[in-house]
Amino acid sequence: MYDSSNPSDAKPATNAMGGSAIVARGVSKAYRMYDKPVHRLWDLMLPGGPRGREFWAVRDVYLDIPKGSTVGIIGENGAGKSTLLKLLTGITQPTNGEILTRGRIASLLELGAGFHPEFSGRENIRLNCSILGMTEAETEERFHAIVEFSELGEFIDRPVKTYSSGMHVRLGFSVATTVDPEILIIDEALSVGDEHFKGKCINRLNEFQEQGKTTLFVSHDMGSVKSMCKHVVLMHEGRVLEQGTAEEVADEYLKRAHARGNERMSAINRQLDAYPRWGSGEIRTGKVELSDGSGKVTNVFQPGSPFRVNIEFEATEDCHEPVFGLGVYRSDGTYVNGSNHLWRNEPIELGDVKAGTKGRVEMAFESLPLLQGGYYLTVFVYDHDKAAPTPIDHREHAATFEVHDANHLQHGLLFLPTQWSVAMDGAEPKVSRD
Amino acid sequence: MFQLLRSLKANRTLLWSFVGRDLKSRYVGSSLGFFWSVIYPIMNLAVYLLVFQIILKMTWDADKSSQEVVLLMLVAIVSWTAFAEATSRSTNVLVDNQNLIQKVVFPSEVLPAYVTISAMVNMTIALPIVLLALLYAKLNPTDDPAVLAAAAASGHQGVQLGAQLLWVPLLLVLQALFTAGLGYFLAAFNLFWRDTFHVIGVALTVWMFITPIFYPPQRMIDKDYGWMLEVNPMHWLMDMYRNVLVQNHAPDPQQLLSFTAAGLVVFAIGSSFFSKQKSKFSDLL
Repeated sequence: MYDSSNPSDAKPATNAMGGSAIVARGVSKAYRMYDKPVHRLWDLMLPGGPRGREFWAVRDVYLDIPKGSTVGIIGENGAGKSTLLKLLTGITQPTNGEILTRGRIASLLELGAGFHPEFSGRENIRLNCSILGMTEAETEERFHAIVEFSELGEFIDRPVKTYSSGMHVRLGFSVATTVDPEILIIDEALSVGDEHFKGKCINRLNEFQEQGKTTLFVSHDMGSVKSMCKHVVLMHEGRVLEQGTAEEVADEYLKRAHARGNERMSAINRQLDAYPRWGSGEIRTGKVELSDGSGKVTNVFQPGSPFRVNIEFEATEDCHEPVFGLGVYRSDGTYVNGSNHLWRNEPIELGDVKAGTKGRVEMAFESLPLLQGGYYLTVFVYDHDKAAPTPIDHREHAATFEVHDANHLQHGLLFLPTQWSVAMDGAEPKVSRD
Repeated sequence: MFQLLRSLKANRTLLWSFVGRDLKSRYVGSSLGFFWSVIYPIMNLAVYLLVFQIILKMTWDADKSSQEVVLLMLVAIVSWTAFAEATSRSTNVLVDNQNLIQKVVFPSEVLPAYVTISAMVNMTIALPIVLLALLYAKLNPTDDPAVLAAAAASGHQGVQLGAQLLWVPLLLVLQALFTAGLGYFLAAFNLFWRDTFHVIGVALTVWMFITPIFYPPQRMIDKDYGWMLEVNPMHWLMDMYRNVLVQNHAPDPQQLLSFTAAGLVVFAIGSSFFSKQKSKFSDLL
């Protein structure tokens, strides 16, 4: 795309590549970490180097991405996905190995990189096009399409600093995909923007696929990777752990995420005391444990799996008619559900509770209706003897858990046992119960 | 050096849009807009006049009217401002645009070039006002008898304006070459040692005061610091601008040759260092 004078830049090598759009042969990338910034200068000017330690962000990566395919790259944070993308786009040079690419690459590593806040959308489109390597004639030809696709309306003539982050991304996406690249590289860029625009983006990406263009898609959202890519590359600690069909690799990824999720979640659950807790204190709740149907303690569940919460408590003073309750919240604070053992058709009434009493409360259900996401629990112990219930021990964020959805059959917050039927031309309707 | 120039040529559309954006962004939202290109050096001049002429009572040569002294200072300030601004901005230009270098495949050699060109264009915008001031001084020569007597004795002719102005474009190009060379070196070097940006701020101030801008060069020679003028390319440049603009003399050939050589050497060193380190930039940011 640029007339680059640097001979080591990724360059087209049509003859050696056959039907491949991107070939990586034993690519590794080391970054040098210095204890003191000035050591970098010593390395430049003085003999006796190199100083500092090497950090290998990407190691021995072999890729052969056929022209026209859509490939997903998944991995946890720090797995080397972004470095790999920088290497493939030619933003940074590999320490070892070689990368061959064919055709113009548009990278959506950051949408709207280089937008100037004081200038209007129109002026920024022109500049961004020339940054992406388009000639003036090409820009002119596509200008209208870019403005149209971004749906910015009259905002196109206002300074970019007045844009919302969604508008910013829309403009960036419009420019980057209108450039008409042979290879499109997307780094979780689609996570911003409203549902309508997201749909338009997916359509545009589908068009790319139909035109036989190559798309590389990086994400840790398994759902979108599975829906868009036939071929998936799983990265872990800088290496390619597995590559294959979306189904195979995605399951492997979920298993790992499941194991790691449990590790991470229990670490989080150990530090929950930082959250607010208030109440008169006659009863103190202790350990809050989540477990699955078999009684195994876990913090990671799947939709439809059994779910149990166990709360230990101890009464430090006498009290009358305490009531235990639980609130379920999604990690963004959405209140999903609240319940207690009193407000029921068959309530449990505790009456007088003497000082020193210890006990356990369990809340359970057989099929967890929550979908993919992070959730937390708030424990309530309230005194219902008064006119309005008053807090005895109210613990925000007493426990957290994650729901990993391997199947992605439904989207949103809750699993609903929906029934579907489709009737065509008066024929017997086709029915799906599950 | 040549590959860098080739790349600038290939990316000239991008270069010019950066220059255009930079010139516009200087004044977007300010009510006086482009007049700041003119007001800024004049305000600087006023401050230095106050300090050097009124408070410190520094006198130039007896055969120069105060009007002429002001013009000699103004010409040098306009040129120095462009040089200092471009040098200090170039030093940080890669850091300021790290978004582009790290997120897109971007020809980074455009960056110091656009900063230099933008400063030179800005200087060129101020030049017509300088010419108007020169014209005014030429049409209203001094009538101070002491100055006239000294001038008659030394043969000094006061403010002159004429065909030697044709040298100005060449001087601008040479200044741009020297500035860009320095800018390329400093921009790349700053990535290895980020303190460069701060050091350059101080160094430019020192450099400004050891360059005869606010006092006559003769002062330095009298105090046995003449050797400093011999090794200071910016002094050669200032002297040539003053000759051409205020005195209507052709530039001193030795100064012209020396400055051309200095510009070429600095540009060759700066641009090859930049090109050599270029592939590391995204890792250094």
